[in-house]
Amino acid sequence: MAAGRDGGDLAPRQLVFLLPEHLKDVSKKTKSGLLFVKLASPRSGEGAFYLFDMCLQQLFEVKVFEEKYHSWFINQSVQSGGLLHFATPMDPLFLLLHYLIKAGKEGKYQPLDQVVVDDMFPDCALLLKFPELEKALRHVTEEKEVNSKKYYKYSSEKTLKWLLKKVSQTVAALKANNVNVGARVQSSAYFSGDQVSKDKEEDYVHYAHGLISDYIPKELSDDLSKSLKLPDPPSSIPNPPSKMPTQRRKRGK
Amino acid sequence: MESADEAADCKQRVHLRPGSLRDAAPATLHLLPCEVLVSRPAPVERFFTPAVRHGADGLQVSFRGRGLRGEEVAVPPGFSGFVMVTEEMGEGLIGKLNFSGDAEDKTEKMQEPLERDFDRFIGATGSFSHFTLWGLETVPGPDAKVHKALGWPSLAAAIHAQVPED
Repeated sequence: MAAGRDGGDLAPRQLVFLLPEHLKDVSKKTKSGLLFVKLASPRSGEGAFYLFDMCLQQLFEVKVFEEKYHSWFINQSVQSGGLLHFATPMDPLFLLLHYLIKAGKEGKYQPLDQVVVDDMFPDCALLLKFPELEKALRHVTEEKEVNSKKYYKYSSEKTLKWLLKKVSQTVAALKANNVNVGARVQSSAYFSGDQVSKDKEEDYVHYAHGLISDYIPKELSDDLSKSLKLPDPPSSIPNPPSKMPTQRRKRGK
Repeated sequence: MESADEAADCKQRVHLRPGSLRDAAPATLHLLPCEVLVSRPAPVERFFTPAVRHGADGLQVSFRGRGLRGEEVAVPPGFSGFVMVTEEMGEGLIGKLNFSGDAEDKTEKMQEPLERDFDRFIGATGSFSHFTLWGLETVPGPDAKVHKALGWPSLAAAIHAQVPED
């Protein structure tokens, strides 16, 4: 879509980006300390862009804000589309989980470099370079050491426990940032004027579950929902149109 | 970038020149509530900027005869704004000439060089710490979707923070 709209460009396309401040200080020694690569998105398995800081070995997720009928004026130029790109820190464990779950179906202990292999996205090998990798893996795998080589096996129980912690720290952030999480909050505020009722704990948990679900496959999201004792989403409400294609693909598998 | 990835294969990397982030000159950005279909140079300083009025309740201007109301919006704390442009293929080849696989890398799994012939390069051409957000007839205000999007970094920080071990 962006490509079509820019088809008639008379100037090189300008991207408006928000980056963590510290990336400015990436070591002068390396010519290419910052690298955009395409990797399998942990939710859908399809390609998505991520930014690697090769100096500090950090991973960032690239998200694009897009709203209809917007454009930028950038200095003495106009850039159609009005896109705003964000690069925000990302937990690499979500991306590794995609491969660990796949390998976990075989139920064997395997060395990590045999697990994180991808013909479609060969840059997944970069995921093995994170300094705290072994510590992070303890959250989601059982490990064995043979001849000082480590072997890992996906553990769904450990992963769920890890995800529950993720949900609770997200809930805390939602509260701290005063994010409006429930539709009923808005209507009660609307009807009762100044008396704004507090969001219910359940609404926060529901919202946080939704946010985390963007980073895990559907099955795991359902399991997490059960662990959180969230009510099943009402089946009478149809899915929003934007979500339909994903749903259909999932069912076809 | 999304247009670049559709045409090219997934093995392509886009290198962001770190030096360009430090050297980027301040840029002035306006986010307009309308779609201008073509991206091109425009005499913003001649037509738009001189018409901006600072009123008691925000900024006013008109574009194509329609009244716009605006507000200054800050980049989220801990973040910096950049305007980036993809370099033409070939420009990045100079960097590649200096690159020869590090001897230390040989022991590691990743033996391929970081930069490859078909890689692309992107560089920052401008930087900003705030921009002007414009609404049609009324100031966009706190409910604007842009403001919600700007709250994303603080939520992302919580979602992706390491969790304590038991």
